[in-house]
Amino acid sequence: MPSAQTAKVTAAADPIDPAASRNLDAIRTALGGSQDLIAKEMTLPGDLRTALVYIDGLSDNRLIHSTIVEPMQRLKQLPEWPGAAPGTDPLKLLREDVLSAGDIRPLSDMQNLYDGLLSGNVILLLDGCREALRIGIPYWEDRSVSEPISQPVIRGPMEAFTENIRTNTALIRRKIKDPRLWLESMQIGTVTKTNVGIMYVQGLAPDKVTAEVRRRLSAIRIDGVLEGGNIEEFIQDRTQTPFATVFNSERPDAIAAGLLEGRVAILVDGTPFVLLVPALFTQFFQSAEDYAQRADIGSLLRILRFLCLFIALLAPAFYVAITTFHQEMLPTSLLINLAAQREGVPFPAFIEALMMEITYEILREAGVRMPRPVGQAISIVGTLVIGQAAVEAGIVSAAMVIIVSITAISSFVIPNVSMSISVRMIRFLLMGLAASFGLYGIMIGILTLVLHLCSLHSFGVPYMSPIAPFELDEQKDTLFRIAMPRMRGRPRALAPGNVKRQRRAKR
Amino acid sequence: MVMKRIVILLLAICAASSALLLSGCWNRRELNDLGIMMGTAIDKEAGGYRVSAQVVDPAEVAVKGAASGRSPVTMYTATGPTVFEAIRKMTETSPRKIYAGHIRVLILGEALAREGIAQALDLLSRDSEPRTDFYLMVARGTTAQNVLKILTPLEKIPANKLFFSLNASNEVWAPTTTFTMDDFVNQLVTEGENPVLTGVQLVGNQRQGESNRNVQEVEPSAHLVVRGLALFRRDKLVGWLNEEESIGYNILMNHVKSTVGHVACPDGGKVVTEVLRNRTKRKARLANGRPVIDVHVTTVADVAEVECKIDLNNPAMIRQLERQFAQEAQRLMDTTVDAVQHRFRVDALGFGHAIYMAHPRVWKKWRGDWQNVLPLVQVRYHIHFHLRRTATVNNSFVGQTKE
Repeated sequence: MPSAQTAKVTAAADPIDPAASRNLDAIRTALGGSQDLIAKEMTLPGDLRTALVYIDGLSDNRLIHSTIVEPMQRLKQLPEWPGAAPGTDPLKLLREDVLSAGDIRPLSDMQNLYDGLLSGNVILLLDGCREALRIGIPYWEDRSVSEPISQPVIRGPMEAFTENIRTNTALIRRKIKDPRLWLESMQIGTVTKTNVGIMYVQGLAPDKVTAEVRRRLSAIRIDGVLEGGNIEEFIQDRTQTPFATVFNSERPDAIAAGLLEGRVAILVDGTPFVLLVPALFTQFFQSAEDYAQRADIGSLLRILRFLCLFIALLAPAFYVAITTFHQEMLPTSLLINLAAQREGVPFPAFIEALMMEITYEILREAGVRMPRPVGQAISIVGTLVIGQAAVEAGIVSAAMVIIVSITAISSFVIPNVSMSISVRMIRFLLMGLAASFGLYGIMIGILTLVLHLCSLHSFGVPYMSPIAPFELDEQKDTLFRIAMPRMRGRPRALAPGNVKRQRRAKR
Repeated sequence: MVMKRIVILLLAICAASSALLLSGCWNRRELNDLGIMMGTAIDKEAGGYRVSAQVVDPAEVAVKGAASGRSPVTMYTATGPTVFEAIRKMTETSPRKIYAGHIRVLILGEALAREGIAQALDLLSRDSEPRTDFYLMVARGTTAQNVLKILTPLEKIPANKLFFSLNASNEVWAPTTTFTMDDFVNQLVTEGENPVLTGVQLVGNQRQGESNRNVQEVEPSAHLVVRGLALFRRDKLVGWLNEEESIGYNILMNHVKSTVGHVACPDGGKVVTEVLRNRTKRKARLANGRPVIDVHVTTVADVAEVECKIDLNNPAMIRQLERQFAQEAQRLMDTTVDAVQHRFRVDALGFGHAIYMAHPRVWKKWRGDWQNVLPLVQVRYHIHFHLRRTATVNNSFVGQTKE
């Protein structure tokens, strides 16, 4: 972050000079003579000197030409332009009669001028005026709306957010066409001045929550916000927890569904991930697919995911605990098979498990970080290393490979990456406990985990609700996903006082 | 402030990791450090016990193991004044500590059984390692150690073979029944009941049975056969029930799940029945001051084999067969009752317990002299034998054969 510039920009909060050329020089100095700063000087009838200033690549060149330059040049062909006469306000005339661009606002100080210039506006300076015009025709190269990469579905909308906050708000508005969908904007980051939007359905989202979101966001004092994650760490309720208390999604339908439940979305310019608060534990196990498919398979998949949570969390720990402490729990023939596999394996089961888990984490990280064309190599090496070779070399037992694989696959079943990351970290802790104290250690670990989860809050809502505190009514969308016509209410914890969602269907 | 926090965090990490590391995982044992004992044999030895452990060589038994021709199990034997001392002493010869968690059978030598087995069994019922659901057997006419030495085909682990053949036999063959450690201890401490255990016999050549050759032949030279029931007075063996008496015992004790039996046809040949379900209830009462046991047996069976010309389509014939089978069942039970009452004079059938449940005061009067009262117990049978089906054919082709 070039912090030297910060001083210069803030120092430039002085009014606009009547002499356009002096302003131009000030801008050039402030930007350090950057090459992408374009200043086009023109003369209007009546010898009015004017200058167009914009950043190349942030504004639409063709639109600048057709909506600003062309109309102004046409003035010269006019026999007589009222603006040329003394006593008139040429800037006002330009704004109202000449320029055909839509978003034009006057500016009166340099600070606003820089802000406007750097967010893709064209600045029009006019000699003899204490004001300048800020013409909004931003345009830059953008990724088009594409399929969600991190949260794909088989059935359901196939669009994902992009890096452009405007596109993202539009994607949400396309889903909720109601005037009560409100968007509040603010800029966060003293240097990056990142646009951040707060979106919620007015009347559904409790005022307490929206006010809290606003308060926490405006309390952020940081030079730069480059991703939603930067904000997430500032606004979460508690830092010392492996669990995410802010939900994120790149799916407009997931965010829209959240808004309809009375949640608040936080959009950050420059990232396709939109934050959603309050976030609940069970929410991380809900996939958009659940609602697109029929209720029965939706429910079964939910149960499968919770099962996978336990496998991903506990499988290696259980394996270590049972094979080193509780051999009597295994069926005899399984015990003999496992013992035969372990003949000649040099390391204790815990070290073996740790080695394999770390190997897997390395492969996984490498797979994510690798340039795509080399990705194939990773999978080949991975299969060979974790699979066959390690077993044949007698370094690990075959059963351990199975345990590590099932653990890895199970962790991918959890639909939200934030949650599977938490599970990955806790898995190692539980393995340590299992190696030291056996099943007893695992139980202590699980109890601690449950206590911790129950102590968490997300924007005032208990993280484990509706499981703890238990709400029988709300179980319809936690472990099970009951049929839509029966899902009559919103989660009470999220939208108190506005729970009713649908009328009984007429038949 | 931040420093203080970091210090506290570091202290917490130190405390947590020392709890993990210093505990040293005190009873941790890796799978390849275990000598998995599947069968145990206890014999009498001058001044103590001879304990033998059948320990599995996992690599020989496992699915993927390339059979190297080594024996799938090995035996370690040690003698000591007590069972536990003998087991620990085995580490003198065994490279691994003997692990008793997966013990399947405990075999007691007949000589030991005749002297009393209770003291020898306390360890295995008290120790936290073994489960108490392994089977107890008495080696009939030989030492327990000899029985455990025999290699068996199909099931590579002889202890497993004994366990599974007991299991299989228990399900479908009335003379056999199983007794776990728990059962035995229960029988031992139950008022008015004497323990019974399964017997195991070695048939064939002992020397050849101990070598790997035994499992290389189609017909092994030595077999382990589950045979007869051993009767105990307190913890001392007093005698054996033969096959018929064992059937009677199992019917009376409601141990029969399914079995096969036969009666004679009116004109030669036999009719065989397959018992599908059997249920026996017993109740004690007093008649003129004498103990009477009512035995209610309900049996559901099929016709399984017919060797003669009888008309199975005739309901009267079925009724007659049912009567015959009921008589046969009664005969079997009677021989058992007779053996128990007069030959051995031990209450293996738990009549005393039945009286104790029904008339505790009367039982108190008889308890001291039960051995003499036992022969006076009258047993009344109420047998309901139901033949339900004749399997896939009606009348047998045996009666219709033509020239």
